[in-house]
Amino acid sequence: MLQVNNINVFYGKIHALKDVSLNVNQGEIVALIGANGAGKSTTLKTISGMLRSRTGDITFMDESISHIDPYKLISRGLAHVPEGRRVFLQMTVQENLEMGAYTCKDHTKEGLEDVYNRFPRLLHRKNQIAGTLSGGEQQMLAMGRALMGQPKLLMLDEPSMGLAPILVQFIFDMILELKSAGATILLVEQNAEMALKIADRAYVMESGRIVLSGTGEELANSDAIKKAYLGG
Amino acid sequence: MITLIQALLNGLSLGSIYALIALGYTMVYGIAKMLNFAHGDVIMVGAYAVITSVVQAKMPGVLGVVVSIAICALLGVTIEFLAYRPLRKAASLTVLITAIGVSYLLQNVAQLIYGTEQKAFPELFDSIPTLTLGEVSIEGSLLLTLGLTAVIMAALTLFINYTRVGKAMRAVSEDKEAAELMGISVNRTITVTFAIGSVLAAVASVFYGASYTYIRPTTGAMPGIKAFTAAVFGGIGSIPGAMLGGILLGVIEQMSKTYISTKWSDAIVFGVLVLVLVIKPTGLLGKKISEKV
Repeated sequence: MLQVNNINVFYGKIHALKDVSLNVNQGEIVALIGANGAGKSTTLKTISGMLRSRTGDITFMDESISHIDPYKLISRGLAHVPEGRRVFLQMTVQENLEMGAYTCKDHTKEGLEDVYNRFPRLLHRKNQIAGTLSGGEQQMLAMGRALMGQPKLLMLDEPSMGLAPILVQFIFDMILELKSAGATILLVEQNAEMALKIADRAYVMESGRIVLSGTGEELANSDAIKKAYLGG
Repeated sequence: MITLIQALLNGLSLGSIYALIALGYTMVYGIAKMLNFAHGDVIMVGAYAVITSVVQAKMPGVLGVVVSIAICALLGVTIEFLAYRPLRKAASLTVLITAIGVSYLLQNVAQLIYGTEQKAFPELFDSIPTLTLGEVSIEGSLLLTLGLTAVIMAALTLFINYTRVGKAMRAVSEDKEAAELMGISVNRTITVTFAIGSVLAAVASVFYGASYTYIRPTTGAMPGIKAFTAAVFGGIGSIPGAMLGGILLGVIEQMSKTYISTKWSDAIVFGVLVLVLVIKPTGLLGKKISEKV
């Protein structure tokens, strides 16, 4: 579904991504794990066109998206929930969700029903300004907003960041639920243990490179990973 | 008492003009995060467009206003496309200097076409009767200015708060990257913003021309800078702020002219601005924006 072939991304003179290649197949949860600054978020940003690669190619649904304007991706079915949630803090919960359906406004009504079903807490707060929500609620809103665009592939950047353990569990359960409903997910996480538990496959990044890949189970049991990320 | 009412009405009318122009500054600032110092000169172009279409081409006044609005909208969008869009990722100082350059360019082109002599603005509103209430007489053009500005402001507020495009504008103003992820084209949104701002400037130019009666190539500079002041006064980036700031500025200016001194009115206006900014640096209705890292 998504193929990233050999991309190299620079921030000025800093070589942030080095020959990164990965792929995501229909119906999978693929996790991208690694330490801070390894290049995980940069990879997602390059896929969604906010950064450009100097080499290689990115294809989504068999079409190249390397040079497409970022705002056109959602209508092709690629949604990105950025790091730090980035909900519109001065708009209401419902307005945020409506923005999610900006490219498919006829779907707004069913979309809202679906999102409010999944996240009942958002329904209670639908006329509240998003800035007044808790971190967990903002994460739900960010995910709900992305779902409003009817994506085929959902890219989640650190959905568990800064959340209480019970909420982290809730978010991961939600990701599994989305998968069973047919969604394909590319998940960036620092919480490697949780991510590997739910991922079909995973890639490990280290200073801009992919250094390991395999099924979630394989990586969870690999000694190198245990040592580096799972505390021995 | 009559002097007070008269001064208040004149102040409101002048303030409405400032508010219309200030809206252009504040909307462009809110969405494109730039100060469009060529905005004042769009007023000048709008006024000349009325002169050319009504005085020279002998069009009826209403049609002249429509032509002026269309030309200003086109001008605003063209300026954005040619001068500012290529600088989207440039430093804000570069964009600011470019805006000043565009301002001089417009003034000089106007000078080439119309010369440096002032031109009379057609008397568009003379057919509207003067309203007399006791000893207070209210000119028709003043009533029209107040009424139309109120309608425009109400319409703009509804547009920003309740339409799909209006909401998209708010989304872009808050977070461009997130807005793009929603499928909102930031470029298109900025174009729409410039078009709206320029249409408001064209309307302001008609009222301004009608009350000052003469137009020259540098006409846009003073209302431009006053309206910018009004936008800062009300809190730049805030739409209700620009409305409030513009109207207050007009009233303060007119009151100073009536009760203190015509010569000192500008100094008093800017003095009040300084005072407001000292007490509330974000302006009257401005929000404090904390930079996220």
